[in-house]
Amino acid sequence: MYSYIARRLIFGALTVIGVSIMVFVIMRILPGDPLVAIFGPEGLTKLTQEQRNSFLTELGLNDPLWAQYLRWVGDIAQGNFGRSFFRSESVADMILRRGPLTAEIALISVVLSWLIGIPIAIVSALRPNTLADSLARFASILFIAVPGFWVGMLIVLALLFWFGYRTPMAGVGFFTDPLANLQIVIGPGIVLGLGQAAYIARMGRSSLLEVIREDYVRTARAKGLNSKLVIAMHALPNALLPVITLSGVLLGLVLAGSIPVERAFGTPGLGYSMFQAVSERDIFVMQNLVFLYAVVFVMLNILVDLTIAFLDPRIRLR
Amino acid sequence: MTTTTPSDRILAGPPSLLRRLMRAGAGIFRRAPLSAFWGVIAALIVATAIAAPAIVPYPPLKSDFRAMQKPPDEKHWFGTDQIGRDTLSRVIYGSRASLTVALGAVLFGTTVGALWGLACGYFGGRFDMASQRLIEFLQSFPDLILAMAIAMALGGGLGTVIVAIAITRIPFGGRVIRAVVLSLKEIQYVEAARGLGASHARLMFRHILPQCVAPYLILATTHLGVAIIIEASLGFLGVGIPPPTPTWGNMLADSLNAGLVPPWWLVLFPGLAITITVLAFNLLGDGIRDLLDPRLRGSI
Repeated sequence: MYSYIARRLIFGALTVIGVSIMVFVIMRILPGDPLVAIFGPEGLTKLTQEQRNSFLTELGLNDPLWAQYLRWVGDIAQGNFGRSFFRSESVADMILRRGPLTAEIALISVVLSWLIGIPIAIVSALRPNTLADSLARFASILFIAVPGFWVGMLIVLALLFWFGYRTPMAGVGFFTDPLANLQIVIGPGIVLGLGQAAYIARMGRSSLLEVIREDYVRTARAKGLNSKLVIAMHALPNALLPVITLSGVLLGLVLAGSIPVERAFGTPGLGYSMFQAVSERDIFVMQNLVFLYAVVFVMLNILVDLTIAFLDPRIRLR
Repeated sequence: MTTTTPSDRILAGPPSLLRRLMRAGAGIFRRAPLSAFWGVIAALIVATAIAAPAIVPYPPLKSDFRAMQKPPDEKHWFGTDQIGRDTLSRVIYGSRASLTVALGAVLFGTTVGALWGLACGYFGGRFDMASQRLIEFLQSFPDLILAMAIAMALGGGLGTVIVAIAITRIPFGGRVIRAVVLSLKEIQYVEAARGLGASHARLMFRHILPQCVAPYLILATTHLGVAIIIEASLGFLGVGIPPPTPTWGNMLADSLNAGLVPPWWLVLFPGLAITITVLAFNLLGDGIRDLLDPRLRGSI
């Protein structure tokens, strides 16, 4: 087990380095001229040559690329995420203030997706091709197709229209004002949770259907075990392993999906600042946030892999 | 007495993929009426997008200042936006942007991915090792975030959105086709061809590639829906095709600027269009997968 953990962590560290290079390539080298990303293709033509040069020097973009890369990585290693062009708050402070809200949303959505997805999967798999199963399958196909941010917009609109209700605008931590905090995070949490629940129900159903046909399930039935216990004790634990892996992959859906969903709800979370960074062409903030999201995604997936290895000896002994 | 022309002899060989698809198309209505139904819907959406200029009731960019932000009525079925543009016409035109981007991105991304996967699976060794790491790095980014970053760096527009979404599709093509090639490489007819001294290029493109067409088609159709959602999200976040081009994402973003309470018709209809389109393509993709290769159920 320990050697598996060590291997996975070293792999993770390599991936983070690779990801940092990739982020740097995309944000700094791909545009050819980083000023394109800052001013836009049209804005760039309005700058004079001297203006361009002074901007480039001021931003340290005239240094060789490897020096820029090393400086960026060094800054991040020291916790210095730079500053936005538009706000006085440093990016590190912004992450600390807004990050917890997005983390709460992600947590709520993952918990919700299991609470909704797994029971639906069980009902669907135990009574395949009945009305309940067809309904569940149609619902999951529908929720995979609906864009989450649109559902969010509809919810906001409906609440305003019929109840005149609007969620609080200012971000508050859970411990300062739990009620206001929950009002902010519950909407995005539900929307993202439903989207994931659809995938989980679908995967859980097919995984459970496969496991139910296994010999050990038949043996358990044959020895006279109550059929509910057979499912709960024998079938479900094995059927859930692929679902846990899927749940890890779906975290990408949550992290990325929270950006448009937070915009739809006007949630003051990290996803919303990503949207702001994009719409303000704030390339350095964007670069750091993209890197942060990718690193979080990589680490969460390592966590999922380790959980799977902990639960399934076939993997850790390989 | 019948005469055989050379073309007949060619046609008489094992059924081509086109034939198989056509026969499948006839069979699909009997065996999978639901997929067939959604296939027809998908075809209708494509037809609408192509025929957009002929069927829209109003030009999508023309403002009518006498009818600004009007709820749906008999003149404007889907209402008008804050500067009096007809929402129905804009939703219809939006399908053009959406489908162009989705088709372009999926074709480009899946093709590059598939060729890369073919090379990885065929050559193996160090090239494969390095490629797999690179693909892993690409997959370390959630799709939408990678697309956002690339679209922002390249600076908006139809081409950049296609490229941005295409890059997020490459790893899927690479992974799936590589796995297919790895299993094909050991099959006897390939070994026989190798034994006869066929070149790498001939082995890859003449003997292995044709077997990858079915997985490739399945992969491409199942990813259309995702591509449409990413395109809409990019538009909604302001890094898609820039306004005033009507896209569904742009329209939804616009509706948020229409005052404190966004008019419901500006929110409802573009989103409905996205949902129905994605639903149609996803179910069509499922149907095609089940017909061409039921073993792949769940794996793609």
